[in-house]
Amino acid sequence: MNILTPIPTNGGDTLIKFGSVWKSQVAILKEKFSQDVEEVLMPGEALCDVPIIYVKKKNLVNILTFLKEDSQFQYNFLADYTAIDEESDPRFEVVFNLFSHTKFARIRIKVRCAENEEMPTLISIWPGANWAEREIWDMFGIKFQGHPDLRRILMDQRWVGHPLRKDYPLRGYQVFTTPEAIDPKLLQD
Amino acid sequence: MSTSESHIPKDILRQGLPGTMDVRIERDPDDLWDDSRVIINIGPTHPAMHGAFRCMAKINGEIIEKSYSEFGYTHRAKEKIAEHRTYHQFVVYTDRLNYCSALLNNVAYSMSVERLMGIEPPARCIWIRMMASEIARIADHLICIGISAVDLGAFSFFLYGFHQREEAYTLIEKLCGARLTTSYTRIGGLMHDAPEGWEKEVKAWAVKTKSVIEEMDKLLTDNKIWRKRTEGVTIFNKEQSLAYSFTGPVARAAGIDIDLRRDQPYMYYKDVEFDVPIAQNGDCFDRYAVRLEEIKQSLKILIQCADKIQKGPIWAEDKRVRIPEKEVIYNTMEGMIHHFKFFMSGFDVPAGEAYTQVEGGNGELGFYIVSKGGPSAHRMRIRGPSFWHYQGFDPMIKGQMIGDLVAALGSINVIAGELDR
Amino acid sequence: MSKDGSASVLTTRLDEVVNWARKNSLFPLPFGTSCCGIEMMATLCSDYDMARFGAEAIRFSPRQSDMLIVAGIITQKMAPVLKNIYDQMSDPKWVMSFGACASSGGIFNVYSVAQGIDTVIPVDVYVPGCPPAPEGVLNALVRLQEDIGAGRTRSQIREINQRSLGRHP
Repeated sequence: MNILTPIPTNGGDTLIKFGSVWKSQVAILKEKFSQDVEEVLMPGEALCDVPIIYVKKKNLVNILTFLKEDSQFQYNFLADYTAIDEESDPRFEVVFNLFSHTKFARIRIKVRCAENEEMPTLISIWPGANWAEREIWDMFGIKFQGHPDLRRILMDQRWVGHPLRKDYPLRGYQVFTTPEAIDPKLLQD
Repeated sequence: MSTSESHIPKDILRQGLPGTMDVRIERDPDDLWDDSRVIINIGPTHPAMHGAFRCMAKINGEIIEKSYSEFGYTHRAKEKIAEHRTYHQFVVYTDRLNYCSALLNNVAYSMSVERLMGIEPPARCIWIRMMASEIARIADHLICIGISAVDLGAFSFFLYGFHQREEAYTLIEKLCGARLTTSYTRIGGLMHDAPEGWEKEVKAWAVKTKSVIEEMDKLLTDNKIWRKRTEGVTIFNKEQSLAYSFTGPVARAAGIDIDLRRDQPYMYYKDVEFDVPIAQNGDCFDRYAVRLEEIKQSLKILIQCADKIQKGPIWAEDKRVRIPEKEVIYNTMEGMIHHFKFFMSGFDVPAGEAYTQVEGGNGELGFYIVSKGGPSAHRMRIRGPSFWHYQGFDPMIKGQMIGDLVAALGSINVIAGELDR
Repeated sequence: MSKDGSASVLTTRLDEVVNWARKNSLFPLPFGTSCCGIEMMATLCSDYDMARFGAEAIRFSPRQSDMLIVAGIITQKMAPVLKNIYDQMSDPKWVMSFGACASSGGIFNVYSVAQGIDTVIPVDVYVPGCPPAPEGVLNALVRLQEDIGAGRTRSQIREINQRSLGRHP
């Protein structure tokens, strides 16, 4: 018994509800972006709840815009935007969980990113991605090209290191004696 | 700010009799741009900030021209802790996410891990979880409206709301022993069955709260002062709400017609009848009105659940997660060993990943768990709705007055536990 | 009074009256950061009224209050801010550490959390619990009031010492 067991009370019946929709969507995506789609994990075969589509970094913004606007997809809502430290090569996976307000289907896009590489920013598609990218920078150290204001968000600005990386110790305390100062540059017109 | 001396020319300082300081400051040291706009720091300890957030605003008179918000003052690193604890040990940390509605978070987390493991808890367990979620949701909305009313000066609503919350706390205490941080659900079941007659007490409380809410409604909804303070204030329309990934009552106030209980039904929400209130404008008054109506709908759901619940088992009979009963633990060797292994080393969750979401008090509360097959998660990502809502706070208050900032922050209900995790 | 001029245990009648007045009119400053903040609000509200014990006038400014109730987690980012607030309060001042997170970091022994506010400021009474029941908070308040009445708290001893050294406290 694992994630593939269909239990409606947990939301585990998504394969029954959206299986055919996903199949057709994945087929269209593979055909249109054949160079950029690296791998697809479908819920019936792999151990996941929604289709996971591994995409190459360079055409990411176009793919997500297509997913948002095309009438067959309509994944207009960015539910979650985060990263995972896989400790493999390449090190990180940046994850986008999308939701469609019209079809009520969900999908997951992942991009593999090495340690010193930069990711493109999604602010042009969803302005709400701003703080999510700052959090990924703060916690993992992945930089975003084109981000207007990439600085730490959860930790103190003087913090050294990226806490959610697997090599950062759980109890790596850093003590500050003065509060953070206001940065008037951020309030310039 | 110790910059005053540098701006004051020395001949002005020396005026007046020797021994007295007659200082006329010709230029305000806070005036960084030479045009009478100042920075105010609505710092992390401020009564109007519900929790520890900071908002730096550049104001021109009373109007906020630009602002930037800061948080992280309550960052407790729950996502990192999850990588060092077993799934069972993490239930305690989930209460401290949206601490106004702790039972909801417990239910959401247990559902996420059960999804990864393919476990279906029995019917009574799910009904009790639903009732617990709705009580938690009502408590959350009562606090939100109460505190935003207090910020704007209407104190009675807060006291009435808190008294109903105290009665809800008594019910929750009967259920699981704790008032605020409940840690009630377990993976595959519940900590303990609801006591005899609990459902009837919940129903009686729901009926009483309904009449109290109607009374409280009269206090604020048609009140001229309340309307003037909240109508047309910090409007955030549908496109903006979608762009900033708003969910829950804040999004429904802007016209986004999504409620995960109705559109992506989980537990037994398909079997109960309830309406989903939507508003059009997306201002503070709409957010208040949507929340008040949601309390009424949650009370309706509670009464229906109390009628439909039956006696039965509350644990899924799955050997991986079933905590043995106390009689078995104390009287058999196998039971004691099983108990020891369960609590010391945890159970293995099969490899896989899932993003499970529920309709929390503030919106879509999601747990994205990546499991590589061991007793603890490889990555536990908690999608807290307040994170996305607080991001919309800066664009919301641009061009509004400082008093409107207070109204806006109360209406979007930012809870520090969800925001900082 | 001993030979070198320090007043060790002798308190005058006036001191007793002053201590009685101080303990029955505490002005709390609620410094609520997380979950314990909600329980603090519940303690201050109608069901477990803290105003019965004299602690009615809640002042959100450190300049106007004398009891700092730290309710909730204090992170490394927040600790200097807490110290700032504590420094702005005038003597005599008392600190109540409300909850497990404020007393010792609680269940969060992680990189971002200060393991107890006593690493930053001196504390007069600790209230255990996660969150503490309001009855526990009121018990702690009563014990603090007993300490203030007897003149045993750090602030008051400091005041007596300063006075005997001839300095204005």
